[in-house]
Formats: sequence, C-alpha cells, structure tokens
Amino acid sequence: MMAFLGISPQLLFGQLLIGLINGVFYAMMSLGVAIIFGMLRIGNFVHGAQYMLGAFGAWYLLHLPDLFPGLGLPSLGYWWALALVPVAVGLIGAFMERVFIRRVYELEHAYGLLLTVGLTMVIEGLFNVGYGAAGQRYDIPATLKGGVNLGFMFLPYYRLWVIAAGLFVCALTWYIVERTKLGAYLRAATENPNLVRAFGINVPRMLMLTYAFGVGLAGLAGVMAAPIYQVSPQMGQSIIITIFAVVVIGGMGSISGAIFTGLMLGMIEGLTKVFWPQASTTVIFVIMVLVLILRPAGLFGKETASVHAANISMARPNSFLENGRLWLPILSGVGVVLPFLVYPVFGMKIMCFALFACAYNLIFGYVGLLAFGHAAFFGSSAYIAAFTAASWGFPPEFAVLSGMTVATVMGAVFGWLAIRRQGLYFAMITLALAQLVYFYALQAPWTHGEDGIQSVPRGYLFGFIDLEDTMNMYYFVLAVFLIGFAAIYRIGRSPFGQILKSIRENELRAISLGYSTDRFKLLAFTLSAMFAGLAGATKAIVFQIASLADLYFTTSADALLMTLIGGVGTLLGPIVGAIVVVAMQKEFATLGAWVVVVQGAAFVLCVLFLRKGVVGTFEDWLATRSESKRNAAGYTADLAAKGAE
Amino acid sequence: MNAQVSLTVSDLQGWYGESKALHGMTFEVGAGEVVTLLGRNGAGKTTTLRAIMGLLRKKKGEIRFDGEDVAGRMPEYIARRGIAYCPEERGIFASLTVEENLFLPPVIAQGGMALEDIYALFPNIAERRNSQGTKLSGGEQQMLAIARILRTGANLLLLDEPTEGLAPVIVQQIGAVIRKLKERGFTVLLVEQNFRFASKLADRHYVVEHGRVIDTLTAADVAGNLDRIQSYLKV
Ligand SMILES: Nc1ncnc2c1ncn2[C@@H]1O[C@H](COP(=O)(O)OP(=O)(O)O)[C@@H](O)[C@H]1O
Ligand SMILES: [Mg+2]
Repeated sequence: MMAFLGISPQLLFGQLLIGLINGVFYAMMSLGVAIIFGMLRIGNFVHGAQYMLGAFGAWYLLHLPDLFPGLGLPSLGYWWALALVPVAVGLIGAFMERVFIRRVYELEHAYGLLLTVGLTMVIEGLFNVGYGAAGQRYDIPATLKGGVNLGFMFLPYYRLWVIAAGLFVCALTWYIVERTKLGAYLRAATENPNLVRAFGINVPRMLMLTYAFGVGLAGLAGVMAAPIYQVSPQMGQSIIITIFAVVVIGGMGSISGAIFTGLMLGMIEGLTKVFWPQASTTVIFVIMVLVLILRPAGLFGKETASVHAANISMARPNSFLENGRLWLPILSGVGVVLPFLVYPVFGMKIMCFALFACAYNLIFGYVGLLAFGHAAFFGSSAYIAAFTAASWGFPPEFAVLSGMTVATVMGAVFGWLAIRRQGLYFAMITLALAQLVYFYALQAPWTHGEDGIQSVPRGYLFGFIDLEDTMNMYYFVLAVFLIGFAAIYRIGRSPFGQILKSIRENELRAISLGYSTDRFKLLAFTLSAMFAGLAGATKAIVFQIASLADLYFTTSADALLMTLIGGVGTLLGPIVGAIVVVAMQKEFATLGAWVVVVQGAAFVLCVLFLRKGVVGTFEDWLATRSESKRNAAGYTADLAAKGAE
Repeated sequence: MNAQVSLTVSDLQGWYGESKALHGMTFEVGAGEVVTLLGRNGAGKTTTLRAIMGLLRKKKGEIRFDGEDVAGRMPEYIARRGIAYCPEERGIFASLTVEENLFLPPVIAQGGMALEDIYALFPNIAERRNSQGTKLSGGEQQMLAIARILRTGANLLLLDEPTEGLAPVIVQQIGAVIRKLKERGFTVLLVEQNFRFASKLADRHYVVEHGRVIDTLTAADVAGNLDRIQSYLKV
C-alpha cells in the first residue's frame, strides 16, 4: 500500500485501531454515565474508579492463590473474570447507591457530584496506598493470543475481540433500553418517576438496579481493558473527565447517540495521534468547545431550558456574621498578629486558599452555579505569575497582575462557553475545560511539564520591599487577601450583587423582570475567575513554584470542599473552610498516600452530615437561640400584662 | 365494615412544604359509584388525589381503601392495592410509543379490560399505536391516559379533570367512556370543574373549597340546586 501524506499505512491503521478500541471503552463508559445521569440525576464521577475496580477485580481473580495462600483457591482467568467481575462491581455499585447516593437524590446536583468525587478519592486513594503508581501486568488470555496479518497491518485477536464484544454490549444495552418493557420503565421513570411509581412500579429499587447496571458496565469495561492498558489505581482518573466531555458532546438525547459519540471521538483521537500527536490528549475537549459553540445542546441532545441557578446559600442576610464592615477590621487585626502565633508560611497558605475559596463562593454560593474547574484560573494565573517573574524578571506586583489578567480572560471565555448548558452540565463543561488547560500545561515547553516552574524569585515589591523577607512577604499576602475579601464583599452588597441574589433565588422571575441573566452570570463568573487568579498568582510568588497540581481537578474540588465545609454563600464560610482544609492537609501530611483517602472521606461526610457547613450550622444555632429567647420574652411580657389587669 | 364502600377519606390534611393545601377533606366513594370532586382552581382537588395515591409527602388523616388504611404507604404499594391514577397533565411519556405508554402500567390483578375492548373503546389509539406518545392530539392523549389504567385490574380510578381544554365533541366521547366504565363495574373518583359534564355522570358530588368539602349533593339534588352549584364554581 502507498504511503498517504507521508504517513505509513501501518501507523495510520494502527492508530485507528487503537482509537476504535478507546472509542469502544468511551462508548461503554459514557453509556453508563448517561443512563445513570438520566435516571438518577447524578453525575457519577466515581465511574472511573469503578472501571478501575473492574480491572483490579480481574487481576485479583488471577492471583487468588497468591492473595489467599493456604485456602487452596484456584487462579481464575480472563473468562471467569469477564463473567464474575461485572456482577461483583455492580453489587458494589448497588451497595454504594443504597448507602450513599440515595441520600442526595433530592438535593442539588452539587452534592451528588461532591459525594461521588469523595467516593472516587477514597477508592482510588486506597488502591494507591496498596499498589502505588506502578501498573500491574495482566496477560492476554491464551485463546486470544496472536493475530492476523491483514497485509497492511497486523490485527491482534484480542483487540478484535474487544471491539466485537464492546460493540455487542453497547448494542445489547441499546436494545434493552429502547426496545424492551424494562427499557420502557427506565425511559418513563427518567421523564416522570412519580407517575411511574403511581403505576405500581418500585422506582427506588429500579434506581438502584440502574445504578448497579451502569456501574457493572464500567466494571466490564475494566476487565476488557486490563490486558490492553496496565492495571493501575490511576487508570480511571483521567478517563472519567474525558467521559464527561463525551457526554457533553453527545448530549442526553439518545442511547445510540452516546454510543456513536464515544466511538467517533475515540477514532478522532486516534487520527489526531497520527497527524498531530501533541494534540491527541486535548482533541476531545477542543471538539467539546466547538460543539458548545455550534450546537449547545450537544449532537443528540434535546435539553433546552436555560434556567439553572440553584439557591444553596446558607447565609442569613442580616446576621452579624454577614457584616463585612465588622469582620474586615477583625480579620485585619487577626491577620496582623497571626505570624507571631503560627508559622507565617502556614498563615500565607491559609490566606491564599481562603481567597481562592472566597472567589469560588462568588459563583457557587452567590449565583448558585456549580463550577467545577476553578483550578484552571488558579493554576494558570500561578503559571503566568511564575513565568513572568522567573523568565521575564517581572516584579511581584506585575507578575501577579499578569496572572490575574490571564485568569480573567480565561474566565470570560470559559464562562461564555459553559453558561450555554445547565446544572450538572455546567460542572462537566468547566471540569473538561480545566482538564484541557491541564493537558496543555503538561505538554507546553514553557511550563516544564511534571516539574512545573520552580525557584520563582519573590523579588522586590514596588522595587524596594524585599519579599525574600518572610514578614514582608506575609504582610503583602495579608494585604492581597484583605483587598480581595473586601472587594468580594462589596460585590455581594452592590446592586449587581442583589441581582445575582435574585437570580439564584428565582431565575425565572429575574428573567421576567427584564434582566438578561446570562450576562450577569458571565460577569460573576469572570470576576470569580479573576479573584481565583489573584489567589493563584500570589500562591506562586509565596511558594516560588507553579506546578501541575495547581491545575489538577483536585484543586477545583478543594475550592468546592472549602466552601462547603465553611458554609456555602456565607461571608466567612470560605475562610473557615480554608483553615480547616489547609490544617487538615498539614496534619495528615505525614500519612502520605492516605491523605487522599482522608480528604475523600471528608467530602463524603460533609455531604452527608454537614451540608450547612460550619458557619451555616452556627447561624442555625444562633437563629434557634434568638427565636427561643424571643418566645421566652413574649411569654414574660404576656405574664406581665396579665398581672397588670 | 360496610362492604359497599370503596374509599373513605377522613379529616385529610396536606402540605406543600410549609403551606397547607388540605384542611380536613372528608368524603366517601361507594363501590361501583361515580363520585366527583367539584371546585374552583386551587381548591385542593388535585392535591387530594395525589394524597390518596401516596404522592403527597406531608399529610395527616385517614385514607381507607377496601377497609385498609393506606395513608403513609408508598405510591407503588397503593397502586398494587388497586387504585389507578390519571393525572391532570395526562402524563403521556414522550420517549415511549403509544403502545408502550398503553402497556406501561403493570397488571396488578385479574379482571382488567382486555386489549380488544380497550381498542374498541378508543379506536384512535389502535390506529396510532406506533407513534410517539406526545405526537397525539390533546384529546387522544387524554384517551390514552385513561386507556392505560383500564388494563391493570385496578378497580378504583382517579381521573383528574379529563375534559380540561378539550373540544365539546371529545368531551362527549369521554363522557360516554366513563359511563361505559361504570357499567363495567369500575369505581370512579372524578375531579371536575365542568359541572355540566359531571352532573350527567355522577351519583354524588362533593364541592371542595380551600382544601375541605363544603357541600354534598346527590344526583337527585342537582336539578333543584343549579344556582347554588353555579355559585360554588363561579370564578
Ligand atoms: N407543587 C405545589 N407546590 C406548592 N403549592 C402547590 C403545589 N401544587 C398546588 N399547590 C397549591 O395547593 C393548592 C391546591 O392546589 P390543587 O390541588 O392543584 O388545586 P385544584 O386541583 O383544585 O385546582 C393551591 O393553592 C395551589 O397553589
Ligand atoms: Mg387540579
């Protein structure tokens, strides 16, 4: 065969084959995510970890004799795994639904997402503790070793099997959902679960089985993937974000749409590897951006409604806890003496993250939009500040400003893209866009890949204040933090902030009052990105490093966690949350790999038991106390009045 | 226990969040009867049906069906005991074909209508069985919503404003259907604002206002009390 555009056919078809195989996995996974989302309204972030469980399940079965010596267990090979593991993973899914996920059905999407993020961290963290980053080998089953030479390429039998089996499973799922009685129940319950219940169908049980089925599909994909990719704790981590992007691209319209989108994107990714290898990790996210611009509802999507702000603020407007004029001086006072009580570096870390959380609270708490990609703004700004300071010799104030500017522009663009879709999609889009930035930073030369930009000079503030001096640095950070805090408070109290509040309380009413709510949301999102950038840039100067961790989704999750622990929408919540999270990270730093498990558990516990956050819970306590005081006062007044008669 | 009574509702109270919608509904439906709940928009008729079906979360009071107190039961349980619900918004599923909509409610007891009988009663539905459910006209959707609860063997039918927004010809057809259902021994609790329609069908009428029953009339009372009834329903 002739070479095409200087590309050998072996390479072209080889990559197409790999792309097709990836596509099969994307299709199987996004099918599960889409069915679960449709029925349960849960963005199943833990799907990737469940896929990883499938692969490890296969590996465990193979190594039963080594794992439980003395019991005389046989080593169960691939075909056993194919039969047993999806069922086992499905059962684990059913258990997780029963114990955790069921509790958040009635709540805002944010909680479901956080809960599954927490479960992901716990599961992946545990496997990381057990197996580290190293992958385990899993051999191709003996019956499928070898391959066939097609003349222009060599086609291994196992890959052929994966494609055939994967497509068959997808087709079978399509048939079940679209053509059977059970599928009719599923589709009906997706539209109107209460009515389906009123017909005598046990919808709660059906939800559990649906979840188990979707998760079982992930487990099956994991078994099938085990001989192709390495079995490692990280294998599910990046695939889930890609899967979310696939779901955004496909839209929620149809099962066949999800299958087609998955396959197609896998192939496109494969082709990109041939023609432009550097872009292959990001191409799916770029396609997502294009689809959002050209066809916001997704290729096969039907969803149209544009209202999606949710009121999850825990603040009581007239509480003294919300009074910035009171708290700004208090925070300033505490900030001034803090370095004499704790390590200044620790204090600076808290302030950077508190500012980051305050910025996040602006969009999540004040507007009610579930953004899940603020790491992009925090991290990009950190990189820009680090780069301009290290390579161009910018003084710290200009480095920070440069970072902030880039974050603001990115916020405007990402916000412009993301507000086209609602609810959980908003989260998925912001997450995918942040992942796009992450992959860019992983590959671009100026970011130095895994190393990040190190040894960033702190420099001289305004040309004469030496920030290498810890106390100078500390008070600079304090000033930045207080300015950011005061500005965000002012924004909340301004007429603009009042409109944001009315959007979150009742977006339809705000629209009917003539507000173009999308414009306000975009402006708020951009401001939020700007302050996140301020926090990130400052952090880069303080710690003299910008690294990939700043851009990773866990940083976005941290912002959400801090806001949630402190109290969503409250003035002080993000600060309290930042103190708790940073202190926790410091406390558990010695645990090594366990940190992620502990943090994941914190997510889960917060969602289940501390949804109001520290400040919100305190507010509640204050309110009930003043209520009972008022009642008691009323009662004594009554008595006095009676006595006077 | 009177074996002739199908449903007894006593002092039923219900809430949507903090706001109270039912303030002590009390009424009764005899086996084989057609009974209406009449009342203006917002009186609490739909809420009452939702409470009977177990779809209203927050409620107090007693709901006896065939002698069993079903208040506090889950909707799926109540449906399987033999109550079938046709909601005001009809609830035809867009992602299901007409036939799938028709076959969706599971058969819960013997004695449901045979498919031929249903198709005989609703010839339009038979013709369009492969269309998407929501592609039907409003009248056809209403027919489908009634048709699909006749197969299941449920005896008590809760019909929420089946004539709402429909042309007079269709309203007449629906009237004929309900009369046939009565002949077949179904018990019907009919919610209506269209009194002219209801008066020709029902054995008894309960007038609902502000979440409670304020008046009761038998079919025989109707002729002499037209003015009074009109005044209840006037907006
Ligand atoms: N989903 C709901 N949430 C809050 N209030 C509701 C809801 N549905 C109905 N209501 C209120 O409950 C009362 C009774 O409504 P409904 O039972 O629908 O009346 P009807 O069916 O007689 O027109 C009305 O005041 C209505 O505003
Ligand atoms: Mg009604």
